Amino acid sequence: MDGLDPYIACLAGSFALYLLLRRGPLVMKLVGALLGLGTMGWLVVICSEVVPGEVDPARNVLFLVFATIAISAAVRMITHSRPVYAALYFVMVVMSSAGLFLLMEAEFMAFALIIVYAGAILITYMFVLMLAQQASEAEQIDEAPLYDRFAREPGAAVIVGLILAGTIVTASTTGLGQLPPPVDAATVNTANGALLEQLPNQYRDAVLAADPDLVWPPEGADSVPPIQWDADGPYVHVEGRDVRIDEEFMPSNTQHVGWSLVASFPASLEVAGVILLLAMFGAVVLARRQAEHSEDELRVDAGLKPVHTIEDEEGGA
Amino acid sequence: MMTSTAIRIAELVPAVPPVPVAEVVEATSHWWAGFILWFPLISLVLCGLCAAFRVRSKLPAWITIGSLACSFVLTILLGNAEDVPERILLFEWISMEWLGGSFVANFALYIDSLTILWMSFVTGLGTLIALYASEYMEPDVGKGYTRFFSGVSIFLFAMGCLVMGDNLLMLYLGWEGVGFASYWLIGYYYRRPEAVAAAKKAFIVNRIGDLGLALAVYLIWATFGTVQYNELMTIIQSGDFSEVYEGWSVKAIPYLLMLAAFGKSAQLPLYVWLPDAMEGPTPVSALIHAATMVTAGIYLIARMYPFFLLEPASLHLVAWVGGLTALLAATIGMAQYDIKRIFAYSTVSQLGFMFLGLGVLTTYGAAYHVFTHAFFKAVLFLTAGAVMHGFAGQLDLRKLSGLRRMKGWRIVAWTMFVGCICLAGFPFTSGYFSKDAILAEAFVTQGPGFQVLGWLAIFTAFLTAYYTFRVWCRVCAGPVHYEPGDELHDDDHHDDHHDDHHDDHHGEHGFHPHAPRFAINFVLVVISVGALLAAVPYFMPNEVEGIKGGWVADMVHGSSAASGIPGHPDHPGSLSDSAHGDGHAHHGTILGMDPHSAMYYISGVVGGVGLLLAFWLHLWRRQDADRLRSWLLSRAWIRWLPVAMENKWYVDEVYHALVRAPLWLLGHVFHAFDRYIVDGLLVDGTSRLPRLLGRWFQPLQNGLLQSYAVTMAGGAVLIVLMMVLMMQFFQGGAVQ
Amino acid sequence: MMLQLASTFSQLSLSQYLVLSSLLFVIGLVGFLTRRNLIVMFLCTELMFQAAAIAFVAFGRYWFDFSGQVFVIFILTVAAAEAALALALVVLLYRRRSTLNADDWMELCE
Repeated sequence: MDGLDPYIACLAGSFALYLLLRRGPLVMKLVGALLGLGTMGWLVVICSEVVPGEVDPARNVLFLVFATIAISAAVRMITHSRPVYAALYFVMVVMSSAGLFLLMEAEFMAFALIIVYAGAILITYMFVLMLAQQASEAEQIDEAPLYDRFAREPGAAVIVGLILAGTIVTASTTGLGQLPPPVDAATVNTANGALLEQLPNQYRDAVLAADPDLVWPPEGADSVPPIQWDADGPYVHVEGRDVRIDEEFMPSNTQHVGWSLVASFPASLEVAGVILLLAMFGAVVLARRQAEHSEDELRVDAGLKPVHTIEDEEGGA
Repeated sequence: MMTSTAIRIAELVPAVPPVPVAEVVEATSHWWAGFILWFPLISLVLCGLCAAFRVRSKLPAWITIGSLACSFVLTILLGNAEDVPERILLFEWISMEWLGGSFVANFALYIDSLTILWMSFVTGLGTLIALYASEYMEPDVGKGYTRFFSGVSIFLFAMGCLVMGDNLLMLYLGWEGVGFASYWLIGYYYRRPEAVAAAKKAFIVNRIGDLGLALAVYLIWATFGTVQYNELMTIIQSGDFSEVYEGWSVKAIPYLLMLAAFGKSAQLPLYVWLPDAMEGPTPVSALIHAATMVTAGIYLIARMYPFFLLEPASLHLVAWVGGLTALLAATIGMAQYDIKRIFAYSTVSQLGFMFLGLGVLTTYGAAYHVFTHAFFKAVLFLTAGAVMHGFAGQLDLRKLSGLRRMKGWRIVAWTMFVGCICLAGFPFTSGYFSKDAILAEAFVTQGPGFQVLGWLAIFTAFLTAYYTFRVWCRVCAGPVHYEPGDELHDDDHHDDHHDDHHDDHHGEHGFHPHAPRFAINFVLVVISVGALLAAVPYFMPNEVEGIKGGWVADMVHGSSAASGIPGHPDHPGSLSDSAHGDGHAHHGTILGMDPHSAMYYISGVVGGVGLLLAFWLHLWRRQDADRLRSWLLSRAWIRWLPVAMENKWYVDEVYHALVRAPLWLLGHVFHAFDRYIVDGLLVDGTSRLPRLLGRWFQPLQNGLLQSYAVTMAGGAVLIVLMMVLMMQFFQGGAVQ
Repeated sequence: MMLQLASTFSQLSLSQYLVLSSLLFVIGLVGFLTRRNLIVMFLCTELMFQAAAIAFVAFGRYWFDFSGQVFVIFILTVAAAEAALALALVVLLYRRRSTLNADDWMELCE
């Protein structure tokens, strides 16, 4: 059978990467780029052959665009001889993966990624790069340092990458047929309703928006009535009648993430905060430039007489 | 014959008369009996406190003497209490029960008449000898004084456990305890290499015997399911163990016990430690290595006598080993010059007599001899100690003479005389009666070669009389002459040999012997009177019919040591005799006479002849002794005899060749094995392996970040591959 | 129109995202192995983080489980902390030798 397809595709992709990494004529690099793009297409085909399931064509196009940008930018990032450009290409990878996040309806994470990665982390990298390149740039403006211009042992690295890629790609294509089918609407609705019941204000707004005359929360009830679903959408059975709830009051992705973060991982959240704080301390302590004090200065600070003064006095006597 | 009978349990059991186990009561009224044990322990603790507070007086001695005296008084009180045998629970020690078995060994006392007999002379002599030692150890006040008396205390405690224990485990505890105390006290002069070597020798040789005891205890428990005397005697008495009797274990138990007894009581082949043990202080030699501890083996066999009766061949072996040891030790003792060594060999010899008595079925004779021997041998050692103390360690009988004519030494000379006549078995002394009981029984009891053994024993008695009075005649009689030994402890005895140089015309270097003072003289007199009085029980009426010996016999016959030995005078013989109910059929004779009456004359004559020989050769015509010696040495055919005797029959050398040298060789082989195989190959090899691996993988640690990353990626690949393979394996081909 | 989500997310979609994620990861790895500049090497590790984040979000989307996105938040945290510390170290190293070449620091292995 064609069980070898993923491996061959990985081999081709690796060869393309090798062509892009090695020192050679521009033509070969173009060949490499084309080969890489072709390989990406082939991989998509392989996926659709091996893995069951349907995809939305419009979304598929967007996915292909973002994926191409991401991989191209990533390849360019590791092949570019100027670290600053590499960082900029990495920003491009981050942007395109934010797009992919949007495609996966992870809106909050998409924008958080842009803000934190592209906005904060990468800027830090840029600062350090500027700081570091300053001296060498001044001497040779057009040429990056030698160690940035030539990849070290691209062949060996590509072989390692090939092995890893072959394994992961095969695993993530062939094994997925065993997964249960994707979540259906009922599951999503239940999850949305369950979260809405946890948000009293939003729940009240949703109910009152549909029927302002209602007394909410219902008197004499220990808990709010559950959200139910039928063919027309969500509704609440209250005061003997069904109150329709507008879809717009359903919890958003951000609410889901926030709830999950706070309700499921509170301790991890705290630990993450501590890690950030310690990293900040560490960075401050490490990067601080130590002022060199002489022994006499230290003695003076400690309230003692400077040593050389004593020696001078003795020498004078 | 004995061996042909007594094999079937059905025949055997009727032969075993009631062992006094049924009447054992769990006594609560005599709770204070525990203090017989606790007093030495308290004394030990107080001595330890004395050491901690660096007491530089004789306080430890008085503590020890006082507590031992209390123990003695309690023992006598306990003996007067009528309801022995009894069992006194001190505290629960080990008590385990499980399905189908149990192991109970409480810290309890088993008080019967045998115990009382033993404890009375152990504590009594212990008190007196501690009193003696309070003066004898004077030079060590503030140095080793406390150590010495704590050793004595721990010895008395352990000996109490051994003798009074309710079970074999306590006996084992005491057994090891006295061994430890013996080691402690032999090595008292730990600066002297000889003392250290002797201590080690005693300890190691005793280990062999202790192994036997440990195995015997295990085996007894495995066979009978208990180690308590009471239960054991009940089982044996009921005969309710016929299924195990057929097995090997019941036959093996007495031999293992015998091994233990031979180790502790210095019999062939394990006697070699006892003569060397004389390196310890003399009171220790008197107390531990003459009077009390070495009789623990006798006690063990007497206590476990029913086990020996189940395997009569073991008793024959006991008799023969005892008799041969007695002879061998006596011949060695004849040719020694060191007084303490002579007495040590005589101890070995007399212990041999006791084992002979056990073997020929007179536990009474053995116990009586233990009792009398404890007194007269203690006297002899203590006098030897006094001599050693006064003459700066001089113990060579060739260099001492005429002690009884010296001022201040008469008590020593005459108490030594008392000890000597008792040891020699001179008529109407205590040793005479106790030895006779054994010698006569050797002719009475039927056994393999017991007649020969009896004659050997009589010959040994003759030798005993000779070498005993050889010592006395040389040291105490004759013209006054002495040379000091090499232990001139100047710092302790200024007044003795710095003040008067002028009136000293005997010794060199202005040496003046210092005569013993009150404590030593008092103790010597008391114990020698005791040695003489020890003959009295023989004439006293006793409850058990037919056997003379007064309350000593009563006490022995009231205990488990008497089982199998009929109390009737017409049945003094062996097991088979009493089993058949016809003693006369196999009653042995000596020269056609009844052994009991004949032995009075024979042993009296033998003792007298030996005594006269000694007087002739060593007092009246001392030159004859030298002439005899040179005559012996000049004749080729006989020369080996005195030489071998002087060299102790080369037993130590033979042991060295047979045991120590192979062990030495083995030790070196093991050392080489340990060094080259274990250390070199295993230990160093294991450490070399990671080094080798490290050398292979060292290139990975090259400081290149990328190479580390490759390694990590390789690991990740491996993990992913493993997961994929596992997934396919478990889910049956996910690819399809 | 019950579905709150704009489209279904089938196994095929998941596999596409996973392949993309693994390619990005491998590119990051290859970059880490081939580049000599310390800062670029760190950037490559960030790329690998990115790949992992995509895989997390994809799986979370497939299961409709928001723990995937929560994990991305933690990845961001770790990445930020790592960037701060690593860059501080790089600055220190650069101060010493004025070079960013990783091969120049080989003796740190000892």
